Amino acid sequence: MDIRIDPFGPDALLVRHTPQGHEAAFARGLALQRHLEQHPPVGLAEITPGFTTLLLEFTPGTRPDPRWLSVVLGAAFRGIKSTVAPERTLEIPVIYDGPDLPAVAAKARLSVREVIALHAAGNYRVALLGFAPGFPYLSGLDRRLHTPRLETPRTSVPTGSVAIGGEHTGIYPAATAGGWNLIGRTPLNIVDTTLARSADPKAFLFQPGDAVRFVAIPQEAST
Amino acid sequence: MSVPLMELVDHGLGLSLQDLGRRGWKRFGVPPGGALDDHAARWANRLLDNPTNAPVLEILMHGVTLRALRRVTVAVTGAAPHVLKAGRGGPWHTAVIEPHQEITITPPQSGLWTYLAVAGGGFAAPRWFGSVSIFPRGGLGESLGPGFVLAGSEAATPRPDSPIGERWVDPSEIRNYARPPALRVWPGPQFDLFSTAARAAFFEQPWRVSSRSDRTGYRLDGAPIPSPALTLPSEPVLPGSIQVPPDGLPIVTMRDGPTVGGYSKIGLIDPEALAWLAQCRPGQQVRLELILGPSHPE
Repeated sequence: MDIRIDPFGPDALLVRHTPQGHEAAFARGLALQRHLEQHPPVGLAEITPGFTTLLLEFTPGTRPDPRWLSVVLGAAFRGIKSTVAPERTLEIPVIYDGPDLPAVAAKARLSVREVIALHAAGNYRVALLGFAPGFPYLSGLDRRLHTPRLETPRTSVPTGSVAIGGEHTGIYPAATAGGWNLIGRTPLNIVDTTLARSADPKAFLFQPGDAVRFVAIPQEAST
Repeated sequence: MSVPLMELVDHGLGLSLQDLGRRGWKRFGVPPGGALDDHAARWANRLLDNPTNAPVLEILMHGVTLRALRRVTVAVTGAAPHVLKAGRGGPWHTAVIEPHQEITITPPQSGLWTYLAVAGGGFAAPRWFGSVSIFPRGGLGESLGPGFVLAGSEAATPRPDSPIGERWVDPSEIRNYARPPALRVWPGPQFDLFSTAARAAFFEQPWRVSSRSDRTGYRLDGAPIPSPALTLPSEPVLPGSIQVPPDGLPIVTMRDGPTVGGYSKIGLIDPEALAWLAQCRPGQQVRLELILGPSHPE
């Protein structure tokens, strides 16, 4: 059985669909999500993806039997592809001047210049938006750059910070506390607050599945 | 068309506008938001014939002062029940405030959060992804400060024959936040990964609400419990999710908490019980009680 569905409290089900760390997790999760959006069970109120999970929240009193949903989703699951091509590629300008560059370089036994070159050469995918509004977890980080989170998170990380947390790289959309290693910053606006006011999903620069490339720009260009 | 109703004179220990939150935006990393004590917030609106999700002020402890800019009918529920009419008409009540009259939220005897609603459909405020709940940590809106003008409908001013300026909640609905019941807990997705001893220690001891608690999460202090040595790929969480990080001290996700988390979740506080936890002050004891229902993993 490829999926497992368990209750999570009285009104939600947690769907676990892929063994941990599976490369096809994103494609499978997206396929399940789309299937559920096209054929929503009665009472389904919200779908929230994790890396290898989907949380299904139902209007109180309407949650279906997880065994029934296992049968339905299991059937849908067998036919799905394990890859999904990105619909678009975003190019993100980055000024690589983050305070944690030396620490990332030291841990990787590379020079700062090599760290920047490796990070800017990567082909990334938006695996998940989470943690904070519009925060993209990007997969595809070169293994040499995998860096544990800070033992003590910073109380404030500046807006637009480009950072590395474990096997992911990401961008802080707004100033917040955070424990990822800061390697640079982008001048781009990650969440459009005008569109947030009109409840438009286009408010978020990144959408799940987007391909992302970073382009190093000189420090002067930011001013 | 909204009109100015009240002006914030002193923001005290803090306050925000809240409704019952937003649905459908967690997939973009936007937490649900909304009143932490939705029981009290709903009653503030019901007293005024408002929709139960109308925007209300959520006020932390004491010190907030508001000045009426016109004649308005308001309702107060939650932690500070006697703000407007001490000794008259009972707690959790409505009142008519005259122009230039000031209301100050006095220190509550128990609980943390007081709710103030206004008649005519509630306060008018910008919505972020469909909810007035601001989220400064995520770049959505800014905290309210002195001089801020709260707007609403002209219908906030009572008609001469309106009965709603003299209402109060039935005492059976008014909560004594000093004595919360045992909080009912559903088993979480990683419940089975906790050892029998860890589970026993979790449910048998009384926990104390930590002072490091806010709208994003309430931390619990007590004897640490052994947490499974496991890094999960981040999973979606719900308000009420109880995560146990490696230090063994639980963190309960609240309504402004991160939408995903990577720590093992031993349980989920029942949605009906979460408002009780929200009103517990730092240092206050809470007991947790496992629900052994059809949802218990076999």
